[in-house]
Amino acid sequence: MQQITELTFLTQLAKRSKLPTPEYAVTPLDRKALKGLLDTWQKAVVKPDILAGKKGKAGLVKVVDDPARALQEINRLLNADFGGKIPRTVYLTRYIPAELEIYTAITYNSSFLGPSLTLSLKGGMDIETVEDTYKRTIPVDVYKGLDAYQASQILSDLQCPKKIVSAFSRCLVNFWDFFITSGMRMCEINPWRVTPAGEFYVCDFKAVPDESNFKAGNLAITFPEYPETITPFEEEMKELAASSYQGQLHISDLHGDLILPILFGGGASTIITETLCTCGGSPIFLSDFGGNPTYERMRQATAVCFKHHLKKAALLLILGGKANNTLIDVTFQAIGDALTHYVEEHGPVFLPVVIGRGGPRLAKGLMIMKEIMETLKLPYVIFGYDTPVTLVAEYAARLAKAFAPMRKP
Amino acid sequence: MKATQLADLLSKGDRVAVSNITGRESSMVTIVSHRYCGNIVGGWALGKGGQTIEYEPGKTIPVFATFDELLKSLPAKKHPNKVIVYSPPEAVYGEVKEVVSFGKKHIKTIFIITEHVAIEVTAKIASLAREAGIDVIGCNTLGMINTYDGVRVGAVGGDNPGESFKKGSAAIISNSGNMVTTMATYLMSAGIGTSFGLSTGKDALILTPLKDLLALADKDRHTRIIVLYIEPGGLYEKEAVDLLKRAKNAKPVIVYVAGKILETQNVSLGHAGAVVEGAFTTASAKMQLFDDYFGVEAFDPQKRYEHTPKLRQALLRGIRIQTLHTLPQAASLVYRVCEWERDFSPHETLQLNPWFVNLGELGKKLPAPLILTPGKIAEPYATQFASLAERKLGKMATQRSMRNASYASGNDGQAASIYGYAVADLMQRGNFAEALILQWLGELPQHAFEARLVEMCLIASLSNGPGTISAQAAKLSASAGNSPHTGMIAALASVGDVHGGNGREAIEYLLKVFGSTDLVDPYNPKASSVNLESLVLQEAEAFKTRKAIAQESGTGYIKIPCLGHPVFKDKDVNFDPREEAIYAYLQEQGLYNIFLDFYRRLAQTMKHIGATSKVLAVNVDAAIACIWLGICWKLLKDRRITLKRAIDIPLVAFALGRAAGAAGEFLDHHDHGTDMDMRVPAAECEILTKPRDLAPAGKKAGRSRV
Repeated sequence: MQQITELTFLTQLAKRSKLPTPEYAVTPLDRKALKGLLDTWQKAVVKPDILAGKKGKAGLVKVVDDPARALQEINRLLNADFGGKIPRTVYLTRYIPAELEIYTAITYNSSFLGPSLTLSLKGGMDIETVEDTYKRTIPVDVYKGLDAYQASQILSDLQCPKKIVSAFSRCLVNFWDFFITSGMRMCEINPWRVTPAGEFYVCDFKAVPDESNFKAGNLAITFPEYPETITPFEEEMKELAASSYQGQLHISDLHGDLILPILFGGGASTIITETLCTCGGSPIFLSDFGGNPTYERMRQATAVCFKHHLKKAALLLILGGKANNTLIDVTFQAIGDALTHYVEEHGPVFLPVVIGRGGPRLAKGLMIMKEIMETLKLPYVIFGYDTPVTLVAEYAARLAKAFAPMRKP
Repeated sequence: MKATQLADLLSKGDRVAVSNITGRESSMVTIVSHRYCGNIVGGWALGKGGQTIEYEPGKTIPVFATFDELLKSLPAKKHPNKVIVYSPPEAVYGEVKEVVSFGKKHIKTIFIITEHVAIEVTAKIASLAREAGIDVIGCNTLGMINTYDGVRVGAVGGDNPGESFKKGSAAIISNSGNMVTTMATYLMSAGIGTSFGLSTGKDALILTPLKDLLALADKDRHTRIIVLYIEPGGLYEKEAVDLLKRAKNAKPVIVYVAGKILETQNVSLGHAGAVVEGAFTTASAKMQLFDDYFGVEAFDPQKRYEHTPKLRQALLRGIRIQTLHTLPQAASLVYRVCEWERDFSPHETLQLNPWFVNLGELGKKLPAPLILTPGKIAEPYATQFASLAERKLGKMATQRSMRNASYASGNDGQAASIYGYAVADLMQRGNFAEALILQWLGELPQHAFEARLVEMCLIASLSNGPGTISAQAAKLSASAGNSPHTGMIAALASVGDVHGGNGREAIEYLLKVFGSTDLVDPYNPKASSVNLESLVLQEAEAFKTRKAIAQESGTGYIKIPCLGHPVFKDKDVNFDPREEAIYAYLQEQGLYNIFLDFYRRLAQTMKHIGATSKVLAVNVDAAIACIWLGICWKLLKDRRITLKRAIDIPLVAFALGRAAGAAGEFLDHHDHGTDMDMRVPAAECEILTKPRDLAPAGKKAGRSRV
């Protein structure tokens, strides 16, 4: 899932949102520019643009009030590694003095089966660590939306200072409007900083767009590339997946080095991948090609998998449970053709192939695969639907480990 | 929820309407479902009103333009009470709105199969359905099956639901559609069948939460245990466990929780809702929730469980499994400890049962435990494989939509291509026959002489005189004042099984004769162990026997295709001069074609053993068939072309040549003939029916005049 960071929000979305944001500047900035900013702002917050986890950017940001310190912090953050995550860039926002910090999030809630607003006056903290007494979650009618009255009730309930209830209620309505008009799956502002003068600023922002919602698509957001967030393989598959909805084409890089898994079914792919990992099968990626993809889509997808990973794989695993509607002969013919094409283009390959499947047109599908394996002179073991996928995965992991030392460099 | 038990969601007598019924997926599933349980009353698809879905020859399901029209058109007793939505994501909201607005009185449950529905739309559907008192399963459900009533909606159980779902005591509720069927199959090995199988879907919002489904399963009289497949994301399990804790005598639950990988790897899973978003939503948290409720550790297949009252108490609540294939063992433990009868005799234990193994040289280098031997293949697959394995020649093609797709040709906007070769490059080489072989077989000829032989076949097909049916057709067309291409079409339309099309039968015959041999190279008589003499004698004897039996009984018999010719038939030894020319060329060039040699020898032997009175001519259709089968043979052996294609090629080869010849005949007639000169004068036509009077309108027809 794509994530909208605060910087992406500031640069691309803030203007259309009616949400008050502090001024900002993105590095590189020289000492003179920094001095100019600090002369105006007095103080600035130096922040990394990073795909933050659950705890946001807590502990990563620093408040500075002179250019030398600012430069020092910028350099520190640019070269830092936060648990494997590397900042894409560093930016500064004007420091907002505050006497109150507020947490807000709008998301779709599985208990209400609709959107909900969560609010806490203990802003700036991981919301899960905030005691229930200090936070509220209320359902929002997806048709009617959040109104200022409803917002003011929740604020009063949390004993929010009366002087800000009215103005902040309007901010919350704007927050809802942004959420619903931009097709988001989740939006979190943590914190809002409330100045002594009663002004509100969005001082950190995180959102996840719903890729299935046309409104999110209409925003035409340019998602920046974060170091190591997406591999060229993932990028290529993502593009292919987006070209049609006929069948699943889901992959997620696991950076393994043994098994190239072509897996079918959301559930099956999860448990097979987990079994492979547990048994040391070191799957190169996680894949789900279920949902009865067309021949062309399946062939293109496997061709991309082979192009990126077949050379280094120690085993090709083609595995799924008992399909309900995926046509086995069509999908297997597509995989076989992609493999044949790969061999025609790149020369012979040699690695064991383990296949397991059940479902419509199984006999023809398995026979197609058997013939292709014979033609390509690849060693193979083929299972039917009566061998559990987890047992097949365990076997594949053992076979891959045994074959790995025999691989040609 | 409106439903009070699982059967309210689906039972016998339910009438199901299908949205977007003409779609690729929905039409396929609808046909299987209707054959299985006959519960589909109709469907609708925008712009497709009036069409039908044929589920058996002559039996159809009606298609309407809208849901409203469906309600107005179907008789009241066929009004649907269930709807299954297969529409594309952007159309789902509109479809549900229409169902709610027109069908509120009738519809009890909506199953939404569609994937990638926006969460906002799902939330709106939840609100809409709640207000209308309609239960919604999905979005992204695979459907549901009620095994006792033998009914299903959606694709649960695939194309053969009976294979995985036998009546029994386990209700399966799963975040994954595939796992419903897979777990049902696993349970059968423990002698436990299924009461219901339901796929909840695993979008961010599941519109029928687990707690509600557990409450429904609790009230089902057939259900003893509930088997769950769970993924991360959502608070559904937290709410469900809270409910179980409050309930008295809740039914035992066996649960498998997948997706722990999300906690250690930066990956996303296949289902949109399988996302960790706070407390109780991770796989670990869900495992812990269930373990705490059950009061027993996750099932360990190695452990010897003592049958204590404490264990019984725990198992009456349920147990979690850590590996999916231990489901039958865990379920067996619950049944054993609870002293429940199994639903039927346990099937074979789940184990590695490979159907096909060929590790080749690698097998010699692997440790023994990794070298598997083929096990038993279940029926009906063993029979299906046996039948497929008999086929030694030809590719097994898969059928799919080829709209806007072609292997045979391409055009990228810059240049046209044939099977990947640029047409311009082929033009440079300047060999039409070579390009033709490529266009028809997908490969360039393997030998230069093949193109030459194809050219000879084309020339041979051009004409056999103006009296041939195809030439006559061209002349008739010219005489009627048609354009030249219409004359060619007329000639092609007159090519049939007994004129020009006999080559197909010749190929089928040759494939029957040579298909089971080890023939590798039809151009090299020494490259295989085919005993041609023996084959020829065998076929000649078989023909003689057929003919004798037929003569005795006065019935017809199967002739050897392409032996004999209506013109070249009067000598003791007959030849079709066109076949002779091809044979002579082969001789001159020192070339060989085993199929043509077979035909020639067969004609001789048939005379020799008295099966025929003369040596029949091997006609040009046979020669064309032999040449093209020679070209196709390696491709058939390598399974690169289908048998169907090889069989069709002699006909198209003849038709191509004859269409060109017919053009010549047309042009000739056009230049020199007169309009209508092909008309047969009335005086030359014999009247075979006696004249009859037609009675004036309103009166009875009179008798014919005698």
